[in-house]
Amino acid sequence: MSSTDTGERRRSGEARPVITELIDEATVQSIADDAWTALVGEDEFLVPIAGEFPGDVLSSWVDVVGPWTGTVVLTTGRETAAGLTRALLGDHAPAELEDEDIADAFGEIANVVGGNVKAALPGPSALSLPDVGHAPAVRNPADVCRLEVLWRGEALSISVQGALPALPVPHQH
Amino acid sequence: MKILVADDSRVMRQIVIRTLRQAGYDDHDIVEAEDGADALAKVSSEQPDLVLSDWNMPNMTGIECLQALRSSGSVVPFGFVTSEGSPEMREKAANAGALFLIAKPFNEDTFKEVLDGVIA
Repeated sequence: MSSTDTGERRRSGEARPVITELIDEATVQSIADDAWTALVGEDEFLVPIAGEFPGDVLSSWVDVVGPWTGTVVLTTGRETAAGLTRALLGDHAPAELEDEDIADAFGEIANVVGGNVKAALPGPSALSLPDVGHAPAVRNPADVCRLEVLWRGEALSISVQGALPALPVPHQH
Repeated sequence: MKILVADDSRVMRQIVIRTLRQAGYDDHDIVEAEDGADALAKVSSEQPDLVLSDWNMPNMTGIECLQALRSSGSVVPFGFVTSEGSPEMREKAANAGALFLIAKPFNEDTFKEVLDGVIA
């Protein structure tokens, strides 16, 4: 049957952009800088230097679903995430932070960074609620824009990573 | 004046309240709601003069809350404070009857700029 649909034509006609075609590290850094200044503090800076992560790290992330589908993931040491939480809470920070406080604050930073990354991407897209825990795996190494910075000398990464595996390369006739 | 601050993040509610104070709106009563459904209930029970709401929340989103308020005949002034400030979101907000949309991250100057015409 000549009209058998192998999906090949459909796939080759639906080239999905990878994130590096849509956003660069400088834009992600600028978004993160604005979030840090407004949320963490006016004198808080992200220095664009890759640092060494401790063994105990925590990630927070939001999903973007649209013409580009993926996740905006922040990762840092658990202690650094606690430091960020204290900075966000300011005078309201309790003597002992609960895990819930850290999940709330670190998740909210991912929400603000992710919301602004989403706004810089082609739309329309939907944004998920933030999640906190072990970072989602990278599905397609070519579909990642990763920024490594230092906050107060501690390593922190922001990874804008595709959630979908690479499309099969269309067969060349 | 009574202001209802709706956000599922407790930390963000505190930041919004702190920014209101830094912007000079420090003599108003503040009521907090932890999602859209809670905000909807508190508009009825607390009768706020202004609602500042996040967009993306569990149970009921901010836009669903606004739509429910307008369907029920409430004309309470309503503005969004959300991480999503794209033109399409702003249009959606305005079409639903929101007065303004403040995009996160914000500072006290953003609040003053937007709220000076709203908060007497």
